[in-house]
Amino acid sequence: MAFAPEDYQQGNSFRIIYIHVPAAMLAQSCYLGLGIAGFVFLVWQMKIAPIFIKSLAPLGAAMSLIALLSGSIWGKTTWGTWWVWDARLTSVLVLFLLYMGIIALQNALDDVTLANKAAAVMGVVGLINLPIIKYSVIWWNTLHQGPTFTVTEKPSMPVEMWLPLLVSVIGFYGVVAGLLLWRMQSEILWREKRSAWVRQEVLGDGL
Amino acid sequence: MTYFSFLMTEFCVLWRRKHDVFNAVLFFIIVVSLFPLGIDPAPEFLAPASGGILWCAAVLSILMVIEGIFKEDYRDGSLEQWLVSGLYLPLLVLLKLIVQWAGVVMPLLMVMPLLSQMLYLPSGSFWVLIMTVVLGTPSLFLIGAIGAALTVSLRQGAMLVMLLILPFYLPVIIFAVSAIRASQEGAPYFGFLAMLLAMSLLSLVISPFMTAVAVKASVN
Repeated sequence: MAFAPEDYQQGNSFRIIYIHVPAAMLAQSCYLGLGIAGFVFLVWQMKIAPIFIKSLAPLGAAMSLIALLSGSIWGKTTWGTWWVWDARLTSVLVLFLLYMGIIALQNALDDVTLANKAAAVMGVVGLINLPIIKYSVIWWNTLHQGPTFTVTEKPSMPVEMWLPLLVSVIGFYGVVAGLLLWRMQSEILWREKRSAWVRQEVLGDGL
Repeated sequence: MTYFSFLMTEFCVLWRRKHDVFNAVLFFIIVVSLFPLGIDPAPEFLAPASGGILWCAAVLSILMVIEGIFKEDYRDGSLEQWLVSGLYLPLLVLLKLIVQWAGVVMPLLMVMPLLSQMLYLPSGSFWVLIMTVVLGTPSLFLIGAIGAALTVSLRQGAMLVMLLILPFYLPVIIFAVSAIRASQEGAPYFGFLAMLLAMSLLSLVISPFMTAVAVKASVN
């Protein structure tokens, strides 16, 4: 982020791309993961899938929030406005709302088996519906508003710019995967707190 | 219990609880009247916005109904009866949804002419509005049933249902309003109607099974 050269149009503000783009990518990948895990749970009833969903949903929500916030800060400096009803912005906002729905559902349901099922169902339905929402939003925007800003057209970047971007994307994936494994670990320990091996693990070795 | 007796029971229950439907229609009218009062009563604003206003109000009142669609069945044990009856659960869910859809959307359609006149919707676009409602609202019911079945065991589930399913309602609203607006501008609108129908059919494929999964999980 610090070593990349300045953009000739945007100056230093373009550096926010190194946070914005990876976060947006992660926000979508996390939902894909949620949907697949939900499908796996509904079909094969694997016990690890709901733990995966429960651990991943807040991470995905955080990523889409980061993408939204960094995007609006970036938009303020380059477009001159915090928010446009642009197709991409709107669909990321909807993605964020979907994550919050899943999290709220899991918090509200006390019964663990029901919460597992519910999150899995929402994940699967969301996975099917997400492309529809995304394309409807794109269609809606281009029909009525006209492309005021074309963020989709990527300028061909020089190597000094896209290489750090690649590194930061990989870094974000690594961070999310690490956090995910960590959260899954504690979730498994919490769910199995009555079993003997957890007691031995916690008392014997410490965490 | 057979499919036919189930259907008759649902009609009976709907008729006995007709005040729920009545409330939904009243709510629809109130929400529609909020817009002219709250924003601008001028025809220049209302005429282009009328399709959107009617659709948003219709979505909200359908949400009011759909949120409690399985509540009463859960409380009096009917849901367990469905499970042990040996009948195919997704089909039962679908039958119930058809009855509810007919019971709620028909009254909405009946007040539509009045309200669309009050909002200065051009008369040429009125039939497009009716078409979007007929083609689009089945998917609203089908998607909403999933959320309602998931939260049926909660005492205060209404807010959660809205948070869960409103994002899924967005495409339906977008395509319906686009169709109405296209007809106002004289543009072709059959593509939007086809998309609405496609979304209803897609949710018809997915929703009964997912709702059945959710009902089973909620009852046990």
